[in-house]
Amino acid sequence: MEKPFILHMLTTAKNLSPFDVNMAMDAGWVSALPYTNVEISEVQGLVQDAIFSRSPKNLSRTAIFIGGRETKQAMDMLRLAKRSMVPPFEISVFADPSGAFTTAAGMVAAVERELATKFNTTLEGKNILALGGTGPVGQAAAVIASQAGANVRIIGRQLEKAQQVADMCSNEFGDGKITITAGADANKAEFMKTADVVFATGAAGIELLSAELVASAPQLKVAADVNAVPPAGIAGVDAFHNGTPIIGSISGAVGIGALAIGNVKYQAQNRLLKRMIATDKPVYLHFEHAFEVAREYIKASS
Amino acid sequence: MDKRSVLHMLDPMANNSPFDVNMAIDADFDVVVPYSNVKLENVLRLTQDAIFSRSPSGVKRTSIFIGGRDLGLAFDMLNACKQAMVPPFEVSVLADPSGAFTTAAALVACVEKLLRDHHGKELSECNALVFGGTGPVGIATGVIASLAGANTTLTDHLSIETALDVSKVYNSRFGSTLKGTLASSEADKARLVTNADIIFCTAKAGIQILSADVLKEAQKLKVAGDINAVPPLGIEGVKSKDSGVPLVHATNSPGSIGIGALAVGNLKYKLQHELLKLLLSTDKPVYLDFRDAFTKAREILAHSPAK
Repeated sequence: MEKPFILHMLTTAKNLSPFDVNMAMDAGWVSALPYTNVEISEVQGLVQDAIFSRSPKNLSRTAIFIGGRETKQAMDMLRLAKRSMVPPFEISVFADPSGAFTTAAGMVAAVERELATKFNTTLEGKNILALGGTGPVGQAAAVIASQAGANVRIIGRQLEKAQQVADMCSNEFGDGKITITAGADANKAEFMKTADVVFATGAAGIELLSAELVASAPQLKVAADVNAVPPAGIAGVDAFHNGTPIIGSISGAVGIGALAIGNVKYQAQNRLLKRMIATDKPVYLHFEHAFEVAREYIKASS
Repeated sequence: MDKRSVLHMLDPMANNSPFDVNMAIDADFDVVVPYSNVKLENVLRLTQDAIFSRSPSGVKRTSIFIGGRDLGLAFDMLNACKQAMVPPFEVSVLADPSGAFTTAAALVACVEKLLRDHHGKELSECNALVFGGTGPVGIATGVIASLAGANTTLTDHLSIETALDVSKVYNSRFGSTLKGTLASSEADKARLVTNADIIFCTAKAGIQILSADVLKEAQKLKVAGDINAVPPLGIEGVKSKDSGVPLVHATNSPGSIGIGALAVGNLKYKLQHELLKLLLSTDKPVYLDFRDAFTKAREILAHSPAK
């Protein structure tokens, strides 16, 4: 008889996200077990405990999910988990801290679709501002867009912090093969003059870009906002917008709101959770894979 | 329709062991629920909460597992569970902290079988030495061997006080007759092994306990068993899958043999699986600790074809 699918869900936080638990169950995992307050030093022990009580054949029905709040921590845990495998005792691992990797992937893939359908262009060479971009979603979106060829600038209230985050994104997540720049929020009017795309990934309920700055941006094409709580992160872009023209934009920019992004995010997370069920060979999944499947979904649904 | 089977997994640590979770689900528990950071004083309420929301027939589909790292605490929690039952509202309980009970039971049962099959001896005729004797597996191994009649000594690699304290505490608890001693240097080990008939290596993973030089000092060694599967292995010359292979370095103990970690692990796996299954299949509630694990391990070996 085939053994049930077991997902061991690790988080550095006090609790798992119920969002992720629902997602795991709905993707076909039969049992989803929480491991909370997990420290990086405990990862190897937990992983090796998880791999040695099933035969290699049944291990293909076992996997690990890494949640938490922090991107770098999650990526470190993912790497460590991979290194802790003892072939043929090895299982798949998927990191998606705060859902940030799949949310970012959903947003960038939706932006890419709008660039293609409304402006007949790609992410390549576009100037992107990641407003409120120092958080998990901003970081992952910056790296994904930069890897797709865009020039990304992370904007934060404090330039120094934004610069630190930008450097970490370039070096840690981009392996030094991309260069993400930084800018201070105070200077965003200047940056808006050359921006093609804006991501708003700040805290919920904070307006990051005023109606005036949106309207007057000379080459703005797409503005995407992950915030579903009013006021909108980008004035004039509401949660239901999905390639909707922004009223007043002199460049004819369109908006993508939280619900449209959330839909792609859902599909991406669902597909990666399912991929761990379907695969014969263990896979180690993060933001790059999230972007792959988000693009697949958009391609299939257009 | 039968209610789904539920295993409540109590653990004094911050998290359950994924090893045990896999084992529980593979033993056909439909739902496995973790309870972490559980203190001894929480056990009464948790147990009574678990027994009172199902009818006596539903209660049969409900069990408790006790994990953790601490042998004594697990044993206390098992007792606390047992005392919390209100017949006919009662559920079965298995304690296996760090898998130590089942690992120790499997180790001693494997060594006992090799001793009989190859040397015609019983545990009660032997001097037994437990390296790594003050850790969870070491203590359980020592207590099981001692209760089976072996003249057993626990060693600690850092402190003789620890070895003596642990022996005393567990002797008074279980009626065993453990001795304690220090084994920090190669010279200590060489001296200790001269008089040992059986040696259990239960130290941490990745530590060699019995080098060729130490093994050469053994004068009457019959069987040595290892639970360390991470190189370097515990016994020089014994690979992890080996069972009953000659100890080539024990040149002064002709006929001596060894068993490696995966061979022991194979029985441990079957044993833990059987014990978990027993929680569900039993009509009358059972309360299982390392002694029951040892009985069951002996049963499994008795029913497995001889090699």
